[in-house]
Amino acid sequence: MADLKKLYDAVLNGDAKTAVAVTQSAIAESMNPATLISEAMIPAMAEVGRLYECDEYFVPELLLSARAMKGALELLRPLLAETGVQPTGRVIIGTVKGDLHDIGKNLVSSMLEGGGFEVTDLGTDVTPEKFVAAVQQKHPQIVCLSALLTVTMPAMKTTIAALENAGLQASEGARRRCTGNFPVCPADRCRRIRRERQYRRNPGTKDGGGNRPLDVRLNSRRNQCSFTQRQQGEASSISRFSGTVPRRA
Amino acid sequence: MSVIDQAGLSKQRVLDAISHRNPDRVPVDFGATAVTGIHVSCVAALREHFQLEKRPVKVHEPFQMLGLVEDDLRQALGADVRGVFRRGTMFGFKTEDWKPWCFNGLEILVPGKFNTTVTPEGDTLIYPGGDFSAKPSGRMPKGFHFFDAIIRQDHFDPDRLNAEDNLEEFQPLTEDDLDEIATDTAAADRGDCALLASFGGTALGDIALVPVPHLADPWGIRDITEWYISTRSRRDYIHQIFSRQVEIGLANLARIFARIGNGIDILFLCGTDFGTQTSSFCSVSTFRELWFPYYKQMCDWIHRNTGWKIFKHSCGSAERFYESFIEAGIDVINPVQCSAVGMDPAFLKSKYGDRLVFWGGGVDTQHVLPFGTPSEVREQVLRRCEILAPGGGFVFNAIHNIQAGTPVANIVAMIEAVKEFHGEA
Repeated sequence: MADLKKLYDAVLNGDAKTAVAVTQSAIAESMNPATLISEAMIPAMAEVGRLYECDEYFVPELLLSARAMKGALELLRPLLAETGVQPTGRVIIGTVKGDLHDIGKNLVSSMLEGGGFEVTDLGTDVTPEKFVAAVQQKHPQIVCLSALLTVTMPAMKTTIAALENAGLQASEGARRRCTGNFPVCPADRCRRIRRERQYRRNPGTKDGGGNRPLDVRLNSRRNQCSFTQRQQGEASSISRFSGTVPRRA
Repeated sequence: MSVIDQAGLSKQRVLDAISHRNPDRVPVDFGATAVTGIHVSCVAALREHFQLEKRPVKVHEPFQMLGLVEDDLRQALGADVRGVFRRGTMFGFKTEDWKPWCFNGLEILVPGKFNTTVTPEGDTLIYPGGDFSAKPSGRMPKGFHFFDAIIRQDHFDPDRLNAEDNLEEFQPLTEDDLDEIATDTAAADRGDCALLASFGGTALGDIALVPVPHLADPWGIRDITEWYISTRSRRDYIHQIFSRQVEIGLANLARIFARIGNGIDILFLCGTDFGTQTSSFCSVSTFRELWFPYYKQMCDWIHRNTGWKIFKHSCGSAERFYESFIEAGIDVINPVQCSAVGMDPAFLKSKYGDRLVFWGGGVDTQHVLPFGTPSEVREQVLRRCEILAPGGGFVFNAIHNIQAGTPVANIVAMIEAVKEFHGEA
């Protein structure tokens, strides 16, 4: 019988080969794919996040664990679709226009996928128009904007403005979290963008220490995600969009 | 010649500071390295502000589009350090055969082999060595300000790794290389400024260099994500690279020293970033296992055989590594990113001020300098000088390169504040 503990350890330790092998065994045994995710992968990524916050794991460890998890998820994704399992939520993520950096974005994306979200990754250097089109097409609950550089942070503001101009308003009371290199008052920062004030807190400059992975802690019972952040380089603005765009059934 | 340059005061000022003696005033660096420089658009704006001779600015570092700070501007800025650079740039072509180029409406000069194409989306692609037959190695998004490396890792087989593939860029210097270094060092050495040289070849896993944007067809691990992963999962491989790289690098430094002696004052050793905004890329124990032995080996040789001071760049929250840097033999730390966690300047000065030279730390380039008011810039500069200057061990620079779009008024406010600190306003 497939060993869920072994899968948990493989993701935690960044052992992609073992993660894939255990997942293949589980599939061969017709194990419910949702079980693998909820009882092994999500807890493993949560522990990865905790270790990152405790300064025991760093970017290389996050990347390894994300890679192990993605390897397993790629095998499970078709099965999840067949069983009709609904994602925890739908997410659009991308690095904003003018910015080509993606390590932090990729880490966030991996963690969200590991948490059961359906993630559409638009890549890097994404125009506001492309974000708008993706939101109109995919009807996500969450949009994540990533930027590494001081000079590309303003593109977050223009992207949010484009979304709002397209009638894609954030829902009343929606929580917005800006994960910037200054963790102080991330909500403040979002409010400043919202009020179209000059964005004064900026992520790392070029060569400013690289990327900024987010530690995503998922609380599946409340079907929410809260993001604790640690780091620079990439700032992600996470907004919940709902309302005018009909939700996909 | 300005007051600053008279009778080599600039040089002595820097030497005093890096020897932890009180200089006559805080020494200043703008443009002596690729991490203490100024974006070409800002160099042009400064030249206009100071009413210097009207001429297009040369881009001496095309990856970050840094403008050459020539002597007239250096004097206007009050800078005391002159850089000595290799003629080969990050894209592999040399800083020669200058040609005009239009950069977001600004007329500048770029090296002759700064060859580009434009994508349908309007992005600019640049080619290694100027070779259009190779895949482009850098991309500048439309309307943007500098290049990013294009990751080219077409020959990567995780089960058949060969460290030699990651050593292609580390080669013994040729006699022509040595001639150029000697010529350029001599030309820079006019007895007025301190000289800071960036000879290359000794950066250990500098993520800006891993993709080797100057090579036409790189082999080995060239993807940044794969490199970071390798520092965790392929340490033997990393050790093989660093070990051989240091062997080549020290042999080159020995040959350079044989040609120029103590003709430079400071050597830029390595630009690998260990800090992030709130933490680091690895633990101290990982650093000490993977990097420390090689830093120590290089620093030991340099200190035993030369009079050069050793300059290490590391962005971010890097304080946890400072004791290790000191133990390895690093003399100068840059950029001193005070906005990062654990990098309070007063704390750094009190704990390390007698053992490390802080080259940077002058003003925050993420927030204050580009987006603050001139008054806010002035306040921060004065405060930083008050904290970091006493007892020497401080060379003023903004924290990393001055970015495109930084208002001239703010840059001037920064310069004026340094002068004000000395009662010269």
